[in-house]
Amino acid sequence: MAMSCNDYRLTRRRMLATTGASMLGMSVQQLLAAQGSSHAATAEHVILFWNGGGMTHLDTWDPKPGRPTQGEFEPIETSAQGVQISEIFPQLAKQMHHCAVVRSIAGTQGAHGQATYNLQTSYRQTANIRHPGFGSVVVHERDRMGDLPGYISISGRAPRAHYLGQKCEAYFVANPGDKDPYLAFPEGIGQVRGNKRLDVLARFNRRFNAGSGDKKLASNQTAVKEAVKLMRSPALKAFELDKVPTTTINRYGDTAFGRGALLAKRLVETGVRFVQINRGGFDTHSNNFPAMQNHGDVMDPALASLVEDLAETGMLKKTMVIMLSEFGRTPRINPNAGRDHWPNVFSGFMAGGGIKGGTVVGSSDKDGMEPDKRPVPVADLHASFCHALGIDPNREVQTPLGRPMKLVDNGNPVSELFG
Amino acid sequence: MMSRFLPAVLLCSVLLAPAAADPLGKVLDQENQDNGVSRKALPGVDDLTYLRRVTIDLIGRIPTAEEISEFESLAPSTRQQKTVERLLADERFADRWTIFFADMLRLRSNAEGGGASIAFIHRAVRDGMGWDEMSRRMIAASGKAGATPELGYILGDNADPMALAGSTAQVFLGVRVACAQCHDHPFDVWKRKDFYGLAAYFGKTRRVQSQFTNTVYTTEAEQTTVLWPPEGVEDGAERKPMVPAFPFELDKADRPSRPIARLRALRQKQAQLAAAKTKSNQKGDAGLEALLAAAGTKADRRSSGKKTDDLGVANEAKRDAKKLKIAQARYRASKLRADLAAMITNPRNRLFAQSFVNRVWGELMGRGFVEPVDNFSQENRASHPRTMDFLADEFIAGGFELKGLVRTIVNSTPYRRQHAVGVEDPVRIELESAFLSTPMRRMMSEVLYDSVVTAGHLFDVKHEKGKNLKVVWSRSRVAKRPAEGSEAAVKPQLLADATSRKVMKKPRLKKGKGGSPYDVEQAIELDFDALLAESKQDGVKIERMQVMSKEEIEAMRMQQQAANNRPDVEYFDRFIRSVFDDNPRFSTSMRMASPAAPEHFLRIFGQPSRATLDEKRDHTPSMRQALMLLNGRLTHEASRVGELEPIHKLLTGDTPRLEAAIRLAYREILTRNPTATEIAEAQEVISGAGSPLNGMADLRWVILNSNEFRFLP
Repeated sequence: MAMSCNDYRLTRRRMLATTGASMLGMSVQQLLAAQGSSHAATAEHVILFWNGGGMTHLDTWDPKPGRPTQGEFEPIETSAQGVQISEIFPQLAKQMHHCAVVRSIAGTQGAHGQATYNLQTSYRQTANIRHPGFGSVVVHERDRMGDLPGYISISGRAPRAHYLGQKCEAYFVANPGDKDPYLAFPEGIGQVRGNKRLDVLARFNRRFNAGSGDKKLASNQTAVKEAVKLMRSPALKAFELDKVPTTTINRYGDTAFGRGALLAKRLVETGVRFVQINRGGFDTHSNNFPAMQNHGDVMDPALASLVEDLAETGMLKKTMVIMLSEFGRTPRINPNAGRDHWPNVFSGFMAGGGIKGGTVVGSSDKDGMEPDKRPVPVADLHASFCHALGIDPNREVQTPLGRPMKLVDNGNPVSELFG
Repeated sequence: MMSRFLPAVLLCSVLLAPAAADPLGKVLDQENQDNGVSRKALPGVDDLTYLRRVTIDLIGRIPTAEEISEFESLAPSTRQQKTVERLLADERFADRWTIFFADMLRLRSNAEGGGASIAFIHRAVRDGMGWDEMSRRMIAASGKAGATPELGYILGDNADPMALAGSTAQVFLGVRVACAQCHDHPFDVWKRKDFYGLAAYFGKTRRVQSQFTNTVYTTEAEQTTVLWPPEGVEDGAERKPMVPAFPFELDKADRPSRPIARLRALRQKQAQLAAAKTKSNQKGDAGLEALLAAAGTKADRRSSGKKTDDLGVANEAKRDAKKLKIAQARYRASKLRADLAAMITNPRNRLFAQSFVNRVWGELMGRGFVEPVDNFSQENRASHPRTMDFLADEFIAGGFELKGLVRTIVNSTPYRRQHAVGVEDPVRIELESAFLSTPMRRMMSEVLYDSVVTAGHLFDVKHEKGKNLKVVWSRSRVAKRPAEGSEAAVKPQLLADATSRKVMKKPRLKKGKGGSPYDVEQAIELDFDALLAESKQDGVKIERMQVMSKEEIEAMRMQQQAANNRPDVEYFDRFIRSVFDDNPRFSTSMRMASPAAPEHFLRIFGQPSRATLDEKRDHTPSMRQALMLLNGRLTHEASRVGELEPIHKLLTGDTPRLEAAIRLAYREILTRNPTATEIAEAQEVISGAGSPLNGMADLRWVILNSNEFRFLP
């Protein structure tokens, strides 16, 4: 049984690899298109804003004017005809013609842990297996571009790669704009001295490896070479925000979130495939409205500037911007002026990467309690993202125990999101 | 309760065989011969190499210079044996092997009851509790998370019968039956019904989470949740409670080497010793019964006699009594799981001992007889069944004791064999799979961490006070008082408030709440004894209310922060200069809360998340690992020479003794003496640097980053 599925494991992947990701001269995207998909994938990068805690859908993407569940915010018109969002997003409202909102995500999990797991992996959490996060799936399926790591997580933890392996783990950036101490020689070790050390190290290892001949040693050397290449890469400039004009910083908002969005933009421009920006504080069981006003003040300039800038340079076509949370919040406002967990229906935001601008998919009922039109299961969201990236969501990979797992848990792309 | 297995340690040291007769090596050589293996075994490694190898394996770090000297001072004929005994008695042995168990059992410090479970394992390893007893306790455990330290295993899978059936077979017996949950096993004999029969032992166990207190405990229900036939198999068929059935065969008779008879004799001796011991020490264990009894007295005292002021007391007493009843009812023990535990750990159940010796052999030899170590199957037979059985028999006869098993293996010739060098891969693999040579093994993450700390003398400070003063600028945001007549001055009261609050605030380091960017290289030691003691107290205390989730706390924190950041107030940055003495010390990583955070050093170097059965330690190299060692604080600080290190004297003064310093560095970091070429090379490195101290730092940095350091010799 040790040899049960190993052969099978390689077939599809090897087939793609050895044929230069094409068959019969067709790219993967074309193949997908040929299988009945209506458009060719255009997304190359993803910027995922993860709003931890469960962001209220009613006070953001799915306002309910005139209903008892409305709360304290009014809807405002946007640059997309007939699309209204909450007044906490005045600047973003001017960019909505680039953006889409899904108002009928039908979640099933009401606890933070399970719901986060579900939204970030498309799978339900079970005891026997852990599934990789979406970022890991993307870098597993799409090759790295340039020197920087393919998957970077900012201001918090991204889900792990699990059975997709070490290479698909996120590179972690604690505070956007801060210098990452691991990308340069230790304090007090100048370039000359550091490089000399590296030379001596290479000599030591060459001698030791030659004496042994074991291949395990060689792969350790490859890792060192990759590390040194990254340390010397001009692409590292993307991490440095101190040379960015103050006006730009202020336009995104001089907050960790604003700098995170700005850093994300610079990273995808340098070739990073997937950037996840984490931010919490949405578990508003009390004082929902002042809290959401604050969140709006922080998120609105960052999101609006990001979409605007990406659109201006044409990068938006290749970059999918997504904002998700583990669930929405109760339409009923509780005695603490808060809202509680509500997975039955909630909303998600996305833009770019082939997503049709100015779109609203689905709707919740008049009070935002249940999906009304076109419920979208969580896995369908993931399948849609895959679709935009030219990744087959039904492709199977093998776990170390030899169990075949689909990249996405049986989702179908939401065709309305695409042109 | 603990006293029952304590004597095992005493017995072992008494029964220790005199000279290294190496029966294990003989059995293996014979089996190889019978298998038609024609290649010759490689010779053993030299003494210092052996010292490094066995020290790393037994106590999880490289030997110190003092330990090397001590070793060299021993007579060559007894060196090995004495060293092995010293290491087995070292308190770090339990640290190192707790990791082995925690990985296998998927124990997580942050899970319900996980921290207490790890502490339980640590104590069990330290005191030499048999693996059979450890297993029985874990499989049969009932009670409250934390208060019953063994409970972490059952709660790790949320007490789900299906998950527990899969993990119990795989962890304790090395058999993968989980596939049979959904279908008859495609490659093996396991039928779906076997799986359900095993799961049925867990079918009445419930994991309960108190709504009010958020505490978690297990209890036993009347009804089982495991029904046959499985859902959706036959439409309309009535699903009946599955009858528990143990699907593994037990040996009918003792084996030729009589392990069971020998075990029985050992147990008798242990019982006698234990009886003698309990007589002299009647303190006993403050178990649940004792705690309940104490609570009962309290309830009695309150409800009886002394009629005090008002009805409140009587009500409280009633509540107390009710609580007690609930407590007794809720921590009900599981008869079914006790039966299962007895069958699993029965010495006639070969798989129990076989799978464990196979794991330990794999851990020490780099390769199990069965590989993967938890996949015993007719399709995946052991490479050396007789050798494995020899070890299993000795393990049973020795009371299922880890230290005895480890002692046998590390004193054997196969363990001491050299790596195959300079041969082609197929030859190497042939040699390694016959255990005629030992494979290259990379230090596991905790060992690597502790070895760098050891090599760099970082367990204690190594610089003199005040030699490493550093200036740090911190920034704090301070509110500006508004100009007179400005709009904001309308609310003077509020403003003054905001201003003073800002000024009063302690200056924050610029790095903000994340702390130092080097946090991912820190190890914070846990006190396992305190953890166990705490769990005991926890027994009767009615737990405090759980108020908010961490998500909600984060929301509150951000609101607070936003409230402090008033739009009508102008702020400016105030920079504050402070000086501190940067004289770092590091703790052992073996006693950290585990698994560490995903971006922590330990995880980057392969510590598993212990979340799923199929996750193993990952020993593949990565760029992230390289960056961490090349540029991290740990290697940097280990390389720098401190005035309090022995090597410092050799490098300073009027006549620096460079060669002696280089020798010492090699011994301290690589546990060997340098060759003439290496000394010459090192001299060149050092003389090329600005100063001998800097040069030595460069040399040590290189050696700490080298492959020779990272792989076991």
